Amino acid sequence: MIRRLIERHAIFVVLLAECVALTLTTDAFLTSTNLSNVVRQNAFTAVLAAGMTFVILSGAIDLSVGSIVGLAGVLCADLMSRGVAGSLAVSVGVLSGAAIGAVNGFVVTKLRVPSFVVTLAMMLIARGAAFKYTDARTITGLPESFGVLSSGLAASLIMATVFAVSWVTLMRTAFGRHVYAVGGNAEAASLSGVRVDRVQRRVFVICGACAGIAGVLVASRLNAGYPRAGEFYELDAIAAVVVGGTSLFGGRGSIWGALGGAFFVGVLNNGLNLFRVSPYDQLMVKGAVLLLAAALDRSRR
Amino acid sequence: MLVGRGLAKSYGGVTVLRDVDLTVQAGEIRALLGENGAGKSTLIKILTGAIVPDRGQLELGGDRLPFGDPLLLRGAGISVVYQEFTLVPDLTVAENVFLGREPGRVLVDRSSMQRTTERVFADLGITIDVRAPVRGLSVAHQQLVEIARAMVFEAKMMIFDEPTASLPAPDTQRFLAVVRRLRDRGLGILYTSHRLEEVFSIADSLTVLRDGELVASRSMKGVVRSDVIRWMVGREVSEEFPIRQPHAGEVVFEARQFSRLPRVRDVSVTVRRGEIVALAGLMGAGRTATALGFIGALHPVHKRGGQLLLNGAPAKFESPTTALAEGVAYVTEDRKSRGIFPLMTAEANITIAHLRRFARRRWLSRRLERSAADQVARDCRVRASSLAQPVATLSGGNQQKTLLARFLLQPPRLLIVDEPTRGVDVGARAEIYAVLDRLSREGMAILLISSDLTEVLGLADRIVVMRRGQTVLEMSRDEATAERVMSAAT
Repeated sequence: MIRRLIERHAIFVVLLAECVALTLTTDAFLTSTNLSNVVRQNAFTAVLAAGMTFVILSGAIDLSVGSIVGLAGVLCADLMSRGVAGSLAVSVGVLSGAAIGAVNGFVVTKLRVPSFVVTLAMMLIARGAAFKYTDARTITGLPESFGVLSSGLAASLIMATVFAVSWVTLMRTAFGRHVYAVGGNAEAASLSGVRVDRVQRRVFVICGACAGIAGVLVASRLNAGYPRAGEFYELDAIAAVVVGGTSLFGGRGSIWGALGGAFFVGVLNNGLNLFRVSPYDQLMVKGAVLLLAAALDRSRR
Repeated sequence: MLVGRGLAKSYGGVTVLRDVDLTVQAGEIRALLGENGAGKSTLIKILTGAIVPDRGQLELGGDRLPFGDPLLLRGAGISVVYQEFTLVPDLTVAENVFLGREPGRVLVDRSSMQRTTERVFADLGITIDVRAPVRGLSVAHQQLVEIARAMVFEAKMMIFDEPTASLPAPDTQRFLAVVRRLRDRGLGILYTSHRLEEVFSIADSLTVLRDGELVASRSMKGVVRSDVIRWMVGREVSEEFPIRQPHAGEVVFEARQFSRLPRVRDVSVTVRRGEIVALAGLMGAGRTATALGFIGALHPVHKRGGQLLLNGAPAKFESPTTALAEGVAYVTEDRKSRGIFPLMTAEANITIAHLRRFARRRWLSRRLERSAADQVARDCRVRASSLAQPVATLSGGNQQKTLLARFLLQPPRLLIVDEPTRGVDVGARAEIYAVLDRLSREGMAILLISSDLTEVLGLADRIVVMRRGQTVLEMSRDEATAERVMSAAT
């Protein structure tokens, strides 16, 4: 029982080991300031990874989430800088992400284009839109209060909510089971009466909405609408999901893996910074660790 | 001569093979029989080096062979023709035959490769274009390519694992002729099949396993069918079909000149309450396409025609979802790729089609789900130590019962079962027949699609024969004979 639990959530064992190692070797790691920083810096990756988990479990992929982060952040910041109420601006940011996800899902299911291609195209389109919307300038002059969203406490709460809702959806609703079914065997799902297309459209909407939330969080952290925000975040999100043990072929994995994966990578970054490893070396170390994690996961099966 | 002595294997305390001896002489076809889970595949995997036994030894022609070294065993002359093909579709026949052992130093010597391949096929009595890509070949021909490959490897022993499971009847005969020819050339052959007629027509001797133990090893002389079944199952099984008493009620389902061109044309069939109607025909006659058309699972490019009636009212199913909601369920013939969810538990496999039944507001009640799954699994006689185990760990027969259970969780008005006993062992097959019989007694209308004539004649109340996408003949059980069905089908 305990062995199965550990096997299923191996990423948390690794994450714990990582934290223990950093606590023993540095003084700076286990301090409230640093830990709060780690959460603030990685909450949005975790939120992206939660949405990505739905898409990957269903057997698809979404490469457009990084660009959605940029576009959603820019829209939200622009409205706020024009004096629109904060809650409305935030909602528009989140909903714009969901809307782009809906377009992704529509093209994937109606035109039968593979999700890799559709979302690759959407990655370019959304990024272009963010630049065009802002004339490639950064939108500033946002109210100080907007920054509260990305404080350690608020970011943790938002993240916790996203994960709690995701867990309940995946494990305790018919839709969640259908996501696993579609990723596990789409033809069998269809013959069992699962509306495969609808499930696929919904996972893209969920992923887009999560990207919208992440976009708002990033804008809040920068206290600005920056059209380049979120570049390469799709790769961080996919890495977090995969490191967390979710199969890229769909049908196998868990939402907790995404959380563990996101923080495993986040704590690794933090540790490398604490040891003052140069940014170039950091990239190489991260790449190597990713390979190692994937290979370990492979050999475990 | 291949000799295995005292081969034993267990996994975590569960013995799957208990000190089994096996001898295959050169120039002999030995059938290896047993129900699913009896240890056949473990034994075969030991012979091919895929797994290492806990005890025992292996000799080929007097030489001791090591365990667990697939390449070495193949080099020594033991080849396997697998059920699932291991060919590369876009390479030619000759390229596939020589895959991994291409002649020539730097450049591949294509012409010698093609000449050798042609010679091997000629030896087998087969004409085939060795320059054609494998992709376009029929299943039967692909299997021959696998055999040719083993011949090029100079196999002394050839192992066939359910080679005819997916072959249509005429191809099976041709295939068996090839196997006999291999024997006459002095190869030793180990042959597994669920089709007993085939075993009786081809095997010289047999080895029967049950629960990992050797129960019989002898020549086929004097052995009769019921002996084999008793050895395999360990008790008397009436292979007889349940005695059907026709008690057909009102018409539940009717197709009138139903068409999905070009695959299905003018199919007319009715199924009444409490009736089992068989849709017979050869592979490729369009029976599966017809069923998929009924439930709205065919691609919309197919040109539509005709009409469906459910309980007398016109019905139109846009997708399997609507068909299921209206009470028309289809159990696929292709268990592996269109049936089960291999990563999910048996329980989740059973409940997937009717999950909303267990939703209270929006949340699934695991308790309701479990008890419903338990109930229907019992009704369908699924044997599993726990429904929480992954469905992929169950035997083929139990996977099939699980699949049936999925669509019986909420009893449909019309149940369409497509090849319900393909790749299922004798014991489980009788149980599936009993389940279908019980359902029809309870009033369900059942449409049985089957290529197995014994099954069609044994179970159906009425038989409708299809040929080239059309229904061509209908007869009652009393009028039906194997000859009549076959002559209408071909």
